[in-house]
Amino acid sequence: MNNGCLENRKKEHDNSQKRPKSYKFGSKSDDFALAIAKVAVAQLCESVGFQGFHLSALETLSDISVRYIYSIGKTANLSANLAGRVEGNVFDIIHGLEDLGSNLGFSGASDVDRCVVSSGVVKDITHFVGVSDFIPFAYDVPGFPVVKESTKTGSFWEKGEDPPGEHIPSWLPAFPDPETYATRLSVENETMGVSNGKKTESELERVERNMDRSLLNLQLRFAHNENKGGSSHGSGYVATESNPYLAAPLHVGEKEVSSVVLPTKLSNEVALRNPVHVDVGNHVSVLETFAPAIEAMKSGLCDSDNVKKKLLYDQRPTVRFKIGIGKKSLGTMSDLNSQNEEDLLKIASWFGNDNEKDDKKRRVEKILKESVESSKE
Amino acid sequence: MNHNRQSNDGKHDDDSALSDFLASLMDYTPTIPDELVEHYLAKSGFQCPDVRLIRLVAVATQKFVAEVANDALQHCKARQAAVVKDKREKQQKYKRLILTMDDLSKSLREYGVNVKQQEYFADSPSTGIDPATRDE
Repeated sequence: MNNGCLENRKKEHDNSQKRPKSYKFGSKSDDFALAIAKVAVAQLCESVGFQGFHLSALETLSDISVRYIYSIGKTANLSANLAGRVEGNVFDIIHGLEDLGSNLGFSGASDVDRCVVSSGVVKDITHFVGVSDFIPFAYDVPGFPVVKESTKTGSFWEKGEDPPGEHIPSWLPAFPDPETYATRLSVENETMGVSNGKKTESELERVERNMDRSLLNLQLRFAHNENKGGSSHGSGYVATESNPYLAAPLHVGEKEVSSVVLPTKLSNEVALRNPVHVDVGNHVSVLETFAPAIEAMKSGLCDSDNVKKKLLYDQRPTVRFKIGIGKKSLGTMSDLNSQNEEDLLKIASWFGNDNEKDDKKRRVEKILKESVESSKE
Repeated sequence: MNHNRQSNDGKHDDDSALSDFLASLMDYTPTIPDELVEHYLAKSGFQCPDVRLIRLVAVATQKFVAEVANDALQHCKARQAAVVKDKREKQQKYKRLILTMDDLSKSLREYGVNVKQQEYFADSPSTGIDPATRDE
């Protein structure tokens, strides 16, 4: 809240942090109302003569004023109910005010047969209105809480449909139209024809939203653009394909997937502790890529330069692996082959490059891996 | 009979006073916005379609807050006067009037609201004792 004259700079240690508030007036849903109350109370205090507040004091006073309103309402409601009414009355409110002012007292409180109309409370308030200045609230307050209109799905009876099956009564909400889930299957076949083994479109959209564009390699980006062309003409497309669990099961060989990593074999030879993440678009078998490295270490090649060059040509620049840090691999590799230190250093340098990647890229790989796994279902 | 008639007239006056007052409330917009008051009245279960009653509650709350703030201001000024009295020879420097928890708790005490806070440290045997009993 920024009123020009108000300052909340002086902090108190006890109440400056979020204190555990009571559920009724301190829950998150009440924050907006409490904020408005704070502004109103601050304006009132300023009119009285204060030039600044402690934040905790302001919060306390606004909380108390809110509770004051609440207790007036509660007492008024109680007296209305006692009189057999549902809606409140001016007399109910005056009763409530008298109850709240009873410990301080008001004129005429001790009269036995006093009328509520001529209550001292009302006279005090009338006097106050006449005396006090007119201070409008600083902001325009919208009506709150905003009531959300519930979109009711019509019942069978309302829609004029016959419920499928006698066991379903007609007052229940109708089933969704078959078009909402039937067309998705055909679209999925299309996308599978367009790009080999890509994920469903909604997942792509989600992934795109989450990741930074620059992180995706060029191949994936082209593939995405192709898919986007298919999905751009209708949000219904994305909506209908949002549930991969309703997809028809894939037959063997229908979708290209990367071959399986053989961890037990490799762990003896290569120091790969962490699982390897392979990009979706590049179906390179892990074993294939590491075969030269394995050979190099097994045979202890002397012309390591040639091997390295060969590897560089064979290896696609876009493949990324998430492998253990270079130091680890270096340590275990040295156990196997202590003679070819040069080779080891060169091989370690390939792994070392991965460590320079950002956390973002690792996250990208993680998301892609998860989507690969989910699409395999 | 006369007595009844007089009392009836008296009641009629009071009625008119009340209705006049409620009508005048529509001209005077209280500082506490109507929507806020409606929200908390609805929360407490009080239903009323009449706007004048909402205004009445808003004005009553405004009066309450103004009174509490006024009492806190008196406490604040009294404390400043006490400080100035000691250092009368030196320059009289009036600090800004700031609403503190201390003043607020003192003024709310008279209204029956207890916002006493835990003492940060106890430096004397009478720390934390109710001030009314302390005088005794």
